[in-house]
Order: sequence, then C-alpha cells, then structure tokens
Amino acid sequence: MILARRIVHTALTATALALLACSGEPRRTGPTNDLLIVGYDREPDTMNRYATHILEDIESCVVEGLVTNDERMNIIPVLAAELPTLANGGVRMLGDGGMDVIWKLRPGVRWHDGVPHTSADVKFTVDAINKGDWKPESVDGFDRISSVDTPDSLTAVVHYTEVYAPYLLQFVRGTLPKHLLDGKDLNTAHDYDRAPLGTGPYRVKEWRTGEHILLERVPDHWRGAEYPRIKQILFRFVTNTTTRINQLKAGEVDMVALVAWDKVRELREVSGLRLNHVVGNGYEHVTLNQRHFPAFADVSVRQALAHAVDRELIVRTVLDGEVEVVNGPVQPLSAAYEPNVRAYPFDTARANALLTQAGWARGADGVRTKDGTRLTFTLITQTGFAIRENVSQALQQAFSAVGVEMKVRLMDGTTISGTWFSGEFDAMLHWWQMGADPELTLFFAGDRAPPAGRNINYVNDAALTELLYRSDRTVDATARNALLREAQRRIAELAPEIVLYNTAKIDAVPATLRNFTGNPTNAGPFWNVHLWEIGTP
Amino acid sequence: MIRLILRRLAQAVPLLLVISAIVFALLHAVPGGPLAAYLENPNVRPADIARLREAYGLDRPLLVQYGSWLAAFLRGDWGMSFADGRPVLTRMLERLPATVELAGVAGLVALLLAVAVAVGSAVNRTFDRAASAVAVAGISLPVFWFGLLLQLLLAHRLGWLPSSGRTTFGDSSLGDRLSHLVLPVLVLAFVQAAAWSRYLRRALREVLARPFIRAARTRGIAERDILLRHALPNALGPFVTVVLLDAAMLASGAVVTESVFAWPGIGSLFTEALGKRDYPVLMAFLMLGAAAVVLLNLLADVVVAAIDPRLRESA
Repeated sequence: MILARRIVHTALTATALALLACSGEPRRTGPTNDLLIVGYDREPDTMNRYATHILEDIESCVVEGLVTNDERMNIIPVLAAELPTLANGGVRMLGDGGMDVIWKLRPGVRWHDGVPHTSADVKFTVDAINKGDWKPESVDGFDRISSVDTPDSLTAVVHYTEVYAPYLLQFVRGTLPKHLLDGKDLNTAHDYDRAPLGTGPYRVKEWRTGEHILLERVPDHWRGAEYPRIKQILFRFVTNTTTRINQLKAGEVDMVALVAWDKVRELREVSGLRLNHVVGNGYEHVTLNQRHFPAFADVSVRQALAHAVDRELIVRTVLDGEVEVVNGPVQPLSAAYEPNVRAYPFDTARANALLTQAGWARGADGVRTKDGTRLTFTLITQTGFAIRENVSQALQQAFSAVGVEMKVRLMDGTTISGTWFSGEFDAMLHWWQMGADPELTLFFAGDRAPPAGRNINYVNDAALTELLYRSDRTVDATARNALLREAQRRIAELAPEIVLYNTAKIDAVPATLRNFTGNPTNAGPFWNVHLWEIGTP
Repeated sequence: MIRLILRRLAQAVPLLLVISAIVFALLHAVPGGPLAAYLENPNVRPADIARLREAYGLDRPLLVQYGSWLAAFLRGDWGMSFADGRPVLTRMLERLPATVELAGVAGLVALLLAVAVAVGSAVNRTFDRAASAVAVAGISLPVFWFGLLLQLLLAHRLGWLPSSGRTTFGDSSLGDRLSHLVLPVLVLAFVQAAAWSRYLRRALREVLARPFIRAARTRGIAERDILLRHALPNALGPFVTVVLLDAAMLASGAVVTESVFAWPGIGSLFTEALGKRDYPVLMAFLMLGAAAVVLLNLLADVVVAAIDPRLRESA
C-alpha cells in the first residue's frame, strides 16, 4: 500500500512537472478603460479606513486623506490645500508645551452625495475617535488632541496637548462624513463600512462577500470630469498565492499587487505584463533577543554574526537579485535616511576573531563555548514562506562556519506574532514594514520592549534612547531628520539586529497601464488611481 | 422510533457542550490571538493593542470568556465577528449557499461514481484492478495539490474551464455557473468517490459470498438481478452510515478545496477566520460541524434501521 502510494505520487509529480515545463501561449486579451480586474490577496474586513488592517488599497480609491504619500515617500496634499508647517504658519508652538496645527482644506471638494467636504468633517472625525465608545484600530496622535476649532468651513485648527512630530500624517486616512454618521453608533454602521461615502475617484458599486468588490467611477470628480479614466475596477479575492499567479498568467485577472520575489521570474516571461519595481519601506532582518539569549548582549557577538553573513550572495541566489542589501531600519527613500553608517561586510576571519576575543572558544565539535555555555540558539521564522525557509538555511551555514550553532523553528504567521510579542524566542527572521513617518522610538528606545513597543532586540542604550525621544519632540522636519540620522549611526554601531535587505515592492500590471508608479508606503499602489489609463500597446 | 430519536437528541446536548468547551480551550491555546495582525501594523501603537484587548473582552479570564460566549450562544446569539464587527450569523448565511451548492453536487457525483465503480468491481476483475489503482491515487492525493494540478491542466494549458471563482464577472448565465463548478466538484468528488467505492466494493463482495446469494443463483435468478436486487441493498446499510458521516466531513473537506478554487463558501470563511483567530466565527463553524456530525450520525441510524428489518425490530 505504501509502495503503491509512493509510485502514484512519483508518477503524478512527474506529470505536474511535465505540465509546468511545456510552455503554453497565454490567452491574454488585456484590460480596457471599461474594466480593470485586480487579483487581490485578501478580502478586506471593512472599508472604513480607521478600522482596516494595514492594506488600504481598495479603501484609498474611495476615501481620500487630507494628505497621501507619493511613490518617493513624499507627503503630498490631497484634500488639504497645502501642508501646514512651522515655516508657512500652519503650525504654532504653544507656551504650555502643546501645539496647534492649522489645516486649510481644498475648496470645491464634495462627498459623493454632493454635500461639500468641510472642516466640520475634520472635527467630527476627531470627536468620533476620541469619544471612546468606538473601536478604531489606531488612535495614535488623536489621543493628544484636546479639541478642534472650525473658524470657517475650510479651516480646521487642531489643538494638541503636547508636541506631536508626525502631525502631517494625522489625517492620512481621511475624514468621516459628519452629515451621514452624526449620532450613529460607528461600531454597527455596517452600511458605511461596506460602502463608505468618500470623496475619492471611485465608489463601491457591489461587494459580493468572498468573491469581489466592484468599484465604479464617480461622475464630476473634484479633480475634473476627465478623472478617473478607468470606468470600473474589480478586486477579485484570491487568497491562494499560486492560484492568484495562475489567474494572472491565464489572463483571468489583469494585475496583482505585491508579487512575492521568488514568483517574479516566472512572470517575466508572460507577455503583456509589466513588473513595476519600487524600493520598499521595510527591511528583512534577524532580531537578536538579548534578554532571552544573554550571549547576544555582547556587542562583539552581534557584530561577529553580522560579519558572518554573505548578504549579497543570499540576495543573488535566494531572492533572484530582486531586492537590495541595506544597512539599517530607515530605508533609502525616506527623507530621514542615513547612508553613511557602519556596515558589516562579509568577513569570516573578522567574525572568528571577534568571537575569540569575546572569549568564545571552539569546542571539540566545532561549536564555540564560554564558561560552559554553548553558542547555540534557535531562530524562529514563518512557515510556508519559501524565501524565509531558504534564507534561514543560508544563515545556518554561515553561522556554523564561525562556530555558532543555529536551529530553525517554523511557525505560522499568527503564531509567530504572538511569540515575539511575548519575548519568548532567541532570534527571529522577519521584516518590519515601517510607517510612512520615520519614527524609530518604538523599535529601539530602551523602555519600548513589548508590550510598550516593538523593541524585541531588547537593546537598551541610554544615548540612543535620548536621541530618539528628542526626535519625537522635534516638529521641524530638517532638525528632526538630523537627529534620526544620528540615531541610525548609533544603531549601526550597536548592531542590535542583523539587517539583510530592503523589502522591495513588485507589482505585476498590464504593460498598457499608464501612470502606474507603485508606492512603498501603506498608501499602496492605488494612491494615484485617478491618473491610471489603459493605452495602446 | 420517535423515542429513540428523542433519546439520542437528549444525549447530544451534553456531548455538544463538552465539545464546545474543548474546542474553545484548544482555539485559545494556539498562540497569537485576534490582535496578532495588529502587531505587524506600524500604525497601530502598543496603547491601541491594550485598548482593543479590553474593548473585545480578551483581557478577561478564559473561563469568563467561555461563560459569556456560551450564555450568548444558548440564547441564539452567535456574537459579532472580531474581523469586521458584523454578526457571525450574517457572515455564515452569506457563505452557506455556495458551500451547499458545491458540497451537494460533489456529494451526489461522488455517490453515483462510487456505486457504479463498486458494482463494476464486483463483477469484473480487470476493471477491479484498474479501479483499485485509481482509488488508491484518489485516497492518497493531497487535495490542494490535485486542485492546482487540474487548474494548470484544464484551465491554463487547455483553457477549457475557468480556473477558480464561482462566476465570471458580468456573466450570470447558467453555463458560466456550471463551468465554474466543474473543477472543484471534480476534486471533491474524485477524492470522496475513491474512499466510498473501496468501502462499498468490500461490502458487496462480503454479501456476494453469503449463502443466500448461492441459493439465489441455484434458483436460476439472473446474475444482474442478484447483484442489483439482492446483493446491493444488503451492502447499502453500512455504506449509508459511512456516506452520511462523510457528508458532514465533505463540507469541511471543502475548506481546502474552497481556498484553492477561491470558492466563496463557508470553508474559505473558516480558513480566513483561522488566520485571523476570529474566535466567534471559528466557534460557530466548529459547533455547526459538531452538530452536523451528531445529527447525521443519528440520521444514519434511523435510515439503517428503516432499511434493515432486523434492526427495526430490535429498536
């Protein structure tokens, strides 16, 4: 029976490989300006931007923020007429330690039902979130707003009780329509959650649960009657990655946002597709938990491990060269990026020397020991993510070459989140997707270990912590970025984690789609959907 | 008979209670809760996570959480989904038709296929050998793999069928609906028929070896009538039990199939809810599954008793 089973498996695997090998002609007809079909990896829980999980692609076509992030990570005004800054008088520092932000709204903007968008909507949004009986996913910043004044319909003065450096992004998720939601319980406003009233170029025409969301263009959009160009966008939910890629190849969907790096190669051969590449706003790295594995508390050990890894080789082989090696948590597109930090080039001799100097001597089996403790730790990472499984094997070999033993434990995504939050692990291979704001306090300040933050390296450096909190209290962008640059140099010296590569974002789009740029931030690739247009090939 | 049914139903209540406690404990023992998704979100701050834990009641002792879930469930309140805040019942009912359609058609096809193959196997040794090989394949195939293989072959290489989904956007014809059903039904029915045909084949062979069949042959009854009118009905009794028990499983076997074929049924809702640890949805799904097994088990006993006169008397 077992033999029969094995024979059958072998035969079927061979068939599958043969099928994969023979190349068929894709039957791609391509989209038109009437309909663009997106193969989307998940169904949103809600279209309310204040309650959604991370990705807001579909939402941002419907509900616009006062600002958004462009493909270079610059903050640009959308429903705001301009960005309030200290220089243009839009931000006032107050004597009591607080600050005022004066938002000037873009005139002529109307909600999809024709009602004008005003400062009353801004005030209503703040009040709805601060009232406390609703469950938005983030109240960050809002909890420091004491009140909002509306001197006229296009001016909202937001009073903060303390300095809040990321104030520009406070309303990146837009506003709630007062005239529709006033007096309603937002926890049960399912009609709004399923088809929100927005000001964006599209509105929800149909949400068929488990199948798709269909967006249709809004007539007389505030940007001008010629926007948007594409009449309908269909987001079809295809959670299985292989199925999604297969649908793209077969032309059943026109585009897929965020293609896994190891799937890019097979898509390059599909005619009619363009793979759009942007530098990401996240970084893959190995977290070294100093609290759980005390050997990591020694900076020489951490630096040695960093030197032991040939990152260029990993990127070239495992990742098909689709990403770039980086040296720190702030990514190259950010205005706060510091390129001149201490790097840890691949150098086995240096790694060995550092470990020996630190008192770790090779034992009989090649693994280093110190005071009877073996240099053996366990790395946790996500299962079912082929790239991570392969990278962990590469790391295993690299560390073994310098006398460090690493075991690998695979966990599913939800389990791994719970595990790192508890701090019960030695090391973890994962990425952080960073916010559009370059704040680092949450990840590196000494007092920001979970549950107070995401400092799971448990790095605790007084100078670094001081720098980070100072940056949080600095509103002027130039001065703040200077502090953050200094912080990045300090982080690189400390080597609290092994930084591997930037999480580049690759979207597969029709070759005929014009004005698609992608986007490294949470704004997502649909940030400029009003400009999209299907041209002639 | 009525008393039997009532007694069995009464027995089912404590059983389901115990199941609910076990399932609840197991779900909560798995690391990572409904808020795990927020942990990776740079926009959600630690203070937000603490606030949401409290708002969803996740900070209370487990026993208290179970008690309040149970009290509400007994009142018919299935709670609200953590993921989208809508009633769990609404979310399940939205998905039910797609699952009933898929599992119903697949179950029917599997049943016809299994009976035909089993009967064929009982009369023809060559056919039996071939059918056995195919059945072993069907039993051992991982469903997700088989599904992807069919997608590659029939949808992408040959272009005969849509690869996944329930409808083509903008096409509401019956033909379109049916063409979307073919692949997932093929996968589910093949795997199920493989198991069922093996079972029925063995039952048939046992019956065919019994003395009353020999007696029938000596009376000169045609071989065809012996098989269909004497042997098959006798073999069907235990087979019905297996089929009805599997019917409950068929809906859950569709968890994988539905995910591979992006089928908008309860199975894909379950996969989604599992990833998000959406406890209210998961509890409702698992309780429905448990109730289905209990009820179909009872139904199987009733049906078998109705088919088999000996059992009818002893009951």
